[in-house]
Amino acid sequence: MTSPVIELKNASKDFEQGGRAIPALAPTGLNVANHEFVALVGPSGCGKSTVLNMVAGLFPPSGGQVLYEGELVADLNRRVGYMTQKDTLLPWRTTAANIAAPLELACRAMPRSERDDRVARMIELVGLKGFENHYPGELSGGMRKRAALARMLVYDPDTLLMDEPFGALDAQLKLVMHEELQRIVGDGRKTVLFVTHDLGEAIALADRVVVFTSRPGRVKKVREIELERPRNVYRVRFETAFGDLHEELWNELKDEVRKGTDA
Amino acid sequence: MAVAGWRVALCAAVFGAWEWYGQAVDATWFSAPSLIAARLVQWAGDGLAGHVAVTLGEMATGLAVGVPLGTALGLFLGRAPVASVILRPIIFALYSVPLVTLAPLFIFWFGLGMLPKIILVAIVTFFLLFFTTFAGVQTIDRDLVSSFRLMGATDGELFRKLIAPACTAWIISGLRLALPYSLIAATVGEMLLAREGLGYLLMYASQQIDMTGMFAALVVLMIAGVAVGELANLAERRLLRWRTSP
Repeated sequence: MTSPVIELKNASKDFEQGGRAIPALAPTGLNVANHEFVALVGPSGCGKSTVLNMVAGLFPPSGGQVLYEGELVADLNRRVGYMTQKDTLLPWRTTAANIAAPLELACRAMPRSERDDRVARMIELVGLKGFENHYPGELSGGMRKRAALARMLVYDPDTLLMDEPFGALDAQLKLVMHEELQRIVGDGRKTVLFVTHDLGEAIALADRVVVFTSRPGRVKKVREIELERPRNVYRVRFETAFGDLHEELWNELKDEVRKGTDA
Repeated sequence: MAVAGWRVALCAAVFGAWEWYGQAVDATWFSAPSLIAARLVQWAGDGLAGHVAVTLGEMATGLAVGVPLGTALGLFLGRAPVASVILRPIIFALYSVPLVTLAPLFIFWFGLGMLPKIILVAIVTFFLLFFTTFAGVQTIDRDLVSSFRLMGATDGELFRKLIAPACTAWIISGLRLALPYSLIAATVGEMLLAREGLGYLLMYASQQIDMTGMFAALVVLMIAGVAVGELANLAERRLLRWRTSP
């Protein structure tokens, strides 16, 4: 196996709160291989988002190391794309202009025609044709997610960090987005680190599911998901293997969720 | 149409009653619409435009100084947590002085001309723009800033493409406040001591116990106020088209 793209070596994180250090993430080891889709699940506040933020270089670990392609993540990690549950589209820009935003930056200067080309292709890819000139306020929740996804993909980052990206969508729309995501980044074209508290979502999408304990989070269980690809996100839930995996992982998760709600 | 009809009827009734009282009873204290209209016509041929120009000139010059400075400081301190912690209480204390009460000081320092009024307008609008812009910067989502940084935005790009446009709505609302306040600041300054301007016109009439002149000046001020408000509406609609979407 080639060396991992993302590597956590005993990485931990404490947050200051009222002068005290509150541990959010206990020393954690985790490897993500190139073009692997890894889902992190766990109760809220278990530090799974903290892992993403450290890989993105938004803040350093309090202890241990976070490596990206074998190098210490010391500053903002610009080889990753980042998508959160919150809608981070610019409300004053149209869909097309939102998707074009990363291409307007000096670090990837390109001729206008190429930019327009790439944006148009991306709009086609995420199924937003006809909505190029709509403002985010005029789009449905699902369309806004597609636009956010397109904005992240348009500059072709190697790795996608997704923090409950579909958390705010209703159950049906979530499935539609799962299918889109799988179609676009599936088949091992991107490395994906995907945080969710939805176990079904994690199993349906990921190559590997990592279960975290309640706060301070640490890895409780790592499970390979051997379901065949490409997966039919609508049907996969009714397969026996899916049910077994869900059962197995839920047994790991449920005590942690309970602990999380007691706290 | 019914609404407009009622509106016209209401105004006609009020003006009719006022006119009747002025004609039939006494016009000493309340004047009458016809007298006020006649005075306005007379003024129009006798230097009213000059007074209007002075007041509008004070407002425009003061706004031209106060708005950009207030916006710039708001944007800067909004992104500089340490400096803002140090400076904010000081700024707040300064702002707690009712600003138009500074007018006498400025008149002592800067004389009778337009300058003290311009400075007053500039200071009032500076604070309004500072506070609204500062508040605007605070509302910018941290995830949005992170995602822009991860896209590779430099500080300058972050500012141009995210911070400044995100604050536009706030800056516009600051401007909407600043426009009427600039009229208040300019006229209050003129009322205190001046040789021209709408505030001077009002004060002069009041010293002559000339009710018709006072009402005429107030009518001009009202028209100026409405015009300024409409200007702000127009600017808002132009700049915030994306917000009018359903």
